[in-house]
Amino acid sequence: MESRLAIGKNVIRVDAHDKAAGRTKYNSDVTDPSLLHCKMIVSQYAHANIKSIDTSEAMTAPGVQRVITGEIAQGILTGTFVEDRPPLAIGKVRYHGEPIAVVIANTELEAKRGAELVKIEYEPLPVLNSPSDSMKPNAFLVHENLANYRKMKECTPQPGTNIANNVRIRKGDMIKGWEESEVIVEEYLYLPQADHIALETRSVKAEIKPDGNIIIHSSTQGPYIIRKKLSRHFNIDTGKITVHTPMVGGAFGGKAAVQLEMIAYLASKAVGGREVILINTREEDMISSPCRIGLEASVKLGATKDGKIKAAQITYLVDCGAYSDMGAVMTKSIASDCTGPYNIENVYCDSLCVYTNHPYVTSFRGFGHSEYTAAIERTIDKLAKALNMDKIQLRLKNIAIPGDTTPTCSTLTKSNIGDLKKCLETLKVKLKWEEGEKVDINKDTVKCKGISCFWKTSSTPPNAASGAIITFSPDGFAHLSIGAVELGQGTKTAMAQILAERLKVDIKRVKVSMEINTSDNPEHWKTVASSTTYMVGNAVIEAADDVICQIKDISAIVLRCSPKDLEVSGGKVFLIDNPEKWIDITEVVHGYKYPNGNSIGGQIIGRGSFIMKHLSGMDENTGRGNPGPLWTVGAQGVEVLFNKKEYSYKIINAVSVIDAGTIINPIVASGVTMGGMSMGLSLASREAFIYDNNGIILNPNLRSYKPIRVDEEPEYIIEFIETPEVDGPFGARGLGEHGLVGMPAALINCLSTAAEKDLNRFPLTPELIWKTK
Amino acid sequence: MITFDFDYYRPDTIEEAINVYKKITGQEKKAIYYAGGTEIVSMSRVNQLSFDSVIDIKAIPECNVIETKDDKLIIGSAVCLTRICDFGGYPLLGAVCRRIAEHTARDMITLGGNILGKIQYKEAILPLLLTDSKVTVAGTAGKSEKPIDRIFNEKPLLNAGELLVNIIIDKKYINNPYSHSKKTKQEKIDYPLVTIASVKNDDEIRIGFSGLCVYPFRLDIIFGNIDNTNPESEINNILNRVPAPIVNDILGSAEYREFVTRNLLIDLFNYYGGMN
Repeated sequence: MESRLAIGKNVIRVDAHDKAAGRTKYNSDVTDPSLLHCKMIVSQYAHANIKSIDTSEAMTAPGVQRVITGEIAQGILTGTFVEDRPPLAIGKVRYHGEPIAVVIANTELEAKRGAELVKIEYEPLPVLNSPSDSMKPNAFLVHENLANYRKMKECTPQPGTNIANNVRIRKGDMIKGWEESEVIVEEYLYLPQADHIALETRSVKAEIKPDGNIIIHSSTQGPYIIRKKLSRHFNIDTGKITVHTPMVGGAFGGKAAVQLEMIAYLASKAVGGREVILINTREEDMISSPCRIGLEASVKLGATKDGKIKAAQITYLVDCGAYSDMGAVMTKSIASDCTGPYNIENVYCDSLCVYTNHPYVTSFRGFGHSEYTAAIERTIDKLAKALNMDKIQLRLKNIAIPGDTTPTCSTLTKSNIGDLKKCLETLKVKLKWEEGEKVDINKDTVKCKGISCFWKTSSTPPNAASGAIITFSPDGFAHLSIGAVELGQGTKTAMAQILAERLKVDIKRVKVSMEINTSDNPEHWKTVASSTTYMVGNAVIEAADDVICQIKDISAIVLRCSPKDLEVSGGKVFLIDNPEKWIDITEVVHGYKYPNGNSIGGQIIGRGSFIMKHLSGMDENTGRGNPGPLWTVGAQGVEVLFNKKEYSYKIINAVSVIDAGTIINPIVASGVTMGGMSMGLSLASREAFIYDNNGIILNPNLRSYKPIRVDEEPEYIIEFIETPEVDGPFGARGLGEHGLVGMPAALINCLSTAAEKDLNRFPLTPELIWKTK
Repeated sequence: MITFDFDYYRPDTIEEAINVYKKITGQEKKAIYYAGGTEIVSMSRVNQLSFDSVIDIKAIPECNVIETKDDKLIIGSAVCLTRICDFGGYPLLGAVCRRIAEHTARDMITLGGNILGKIQYKEAILPLLLTDSKVTVAGTAGKSEKPIDRIFNEKPLLNAGELLVNIIIDKKYINNPYSHSKKTKQEKIDYPLVTIASVKNDDEIRIGFSGLCVYPFRLDIIFGNIDNTNPESEINNILNRVPAPIVNDILGSAEYREFVTRNLLIDLFNYYGGMN
């Protein structure tokens, strides 16, 4: 392999200095005395008719400019696959925390005081508290008007039911599959909704300029999506909308949703276009803004006695909450990868997006994969037990390899899927599998191991695109303009490394645009789906090649040779056959000036773009299609000390072996993976919304909803297998989400072994283990 | 953000505090004594508490002492839990306080606030109940010393305007054998499912419970009744004497709390039984 300058190096992150010094400015850090402040009034019920909203007292309170309610956007419904959600509730609320009204006032204090004076009279309605309740034949409808909602082509809502999307996988011949199966196991798994808990809560500023231009500042993963959605719903030219996004303080998928932006736009419009700011409190961020899906899964697997899986029948009920938004898209994503990374010839899967009276959902790190993976991997463990077979051996026997097909009948190749066999074999060593799955430590304590495999592709639209522009400062620094958002994952650093590598310059001479302005930076679809390195990285490479080509063209004239005789490296352009003859790129990037003053060339501006190729939607009846470009695979494991007397446990080790192709920055890749693993273990062991019988969330704050603390973290062991992806920049695959995906599965498998119980619910609290029969 | 306005007073003496309280409430206004503020601030932010004035007692010297005097240990009501842990004069109290909240919060939470606030757990009161501690209370009629169960028994019993000045612990108990154990839903740092603190005093074992019921309480058992070969009957006896229904909430069901309590009591019996 050629020696590399920046790729594969532990480059210090380009955002590190400002962050370490506390100087990074996040969205709501930048304010202005002329801003008006918004405060939302949110629903106290999970399902109720709004009988009246009395804003009269609030309207006359000191400092209050306006109070807006859902009426201001009458007829506007928003969503991703199905447009079912009003920006503010009208006539009815469908979840606890749903925004109903907004007070706009001169100060934050006056807005909150005004909000306390808004009086809402509700008529409580019965609630649907789980997807299976919503699926019952006599269940009432969360959306009576489902038949009349606008929807995207690829989505199949079922009017007259609570099903917002119904994705089917029909692969192979199930009759044959069951006939060949000598052992059949079944599993049911329940996983409640949870929240992203990004450190920075969501916030937005909105202004309508006197000339009609719209300026939005948002803490978002999708500035370009905000532009599109505002345009679509409020009939504004996209060219008149500019979205600014500074550094984002954690997102995890939660900031890909467009919600507050619409409310803030309506608020600004109501006060003559003045700039308004809306900042979620932690409580609002947890339940009013969208959360993580819940899932009910039923999995049935059939296998031969020697462990070859022959048939899989699966039902996934996705709890999307009261509005479908990204829940409907995740339903599709779950279906497309529904079996996990196993080659199963006969697959029958119904993946349903089901309305309930819970908070609505949006993407969450893993995009549905960590949730269904827990169900699949739990069933695989059960199958291993039924077959009396080693759990790693059973997985090795069934893993998908090049030449196999996915549930959507996409063909796997040496390039588009990583090497899961190598991952599993490495996991076996790192987890010390040979020590035994379960070892007695003392009278009350056992040490136990549990494992999981996973795969994940992205569910991007087939035309998702990215761009990159390179300009130069007079001293030859390369300035890279991209549309990818920095949300802590290190994307700006990775892009700087890719550009430095391609231009063969020191990374210190590469500068990446940190903030995003949708009118100036080239569009990147959204910073989601672990696809930014792949998409934007490819655009950066194309832009770099364009720059190199232009530099060579001008230099060839100066050096009196053909461009193909030249090489650009280390900030110089030189003759390949005579490196003694060269010019510095600073002499050409802003035009070359001859001694007599004559000049040629002008500024060099590089452009690169990328669009997904060969992706297609899924067939409505069979699921056939090509929904994602490449699969990152991995094997994960945990080791816990379990107290048999108390049913309590301590996670001591967590291992991930992931084939992410070429690793751009090892230390950042480990950090991202470790963060994902921690999140997965936290979700699996403790995080969940707790609903009462009326659908009220009982723990919508960090006093009672407790993510894992640092002193409860295990040791993390992270290994990468690097099977290059041919289409990836320098062979890289997606990595951002994957550390999370198999962790809940590994933990539930581990604790099932430890407690000798068939655990099938999350979160895995000691009480749950104690209670499980 | 707290949306209501209120006046802030910081008296330097007990008398001043009592007088300010009297003056404010005489104007039909609501006043509350304030020390750490963890509960007052977080409840006020979400409008679960309101008042016209806070009277901050942190500047009153008597409320800030932590000292041993003759055969007494005296701790002011405004002393924060971190100071109690660091002081180390009463190991059981230190052990209990060290498991309340997290370090940053313990720097703010005061002993008086923990035992007289709205929080139902009041874990810091357990060692005080077990040692028949006394308290100094100040009111319009001056200061008086009372047994701790006169200011807290199922609920706080102070009269309006009365101020808890300090807690007086008899040192004769401080070196007795003791135990402390806290079980939570999952986290190390959380409210208790059940916290048990105990002290052995001659032939009796005094056991304090927090989390099991909506208020903390003390039960005494006879040391000789512990039979490690058959702990069940004594555990059943103890559970029959629990003075209120077992709590059933998002931290844990009543059945699970009972299970946890039974385990803790077996541990406790083994611990003291081993001293036989």
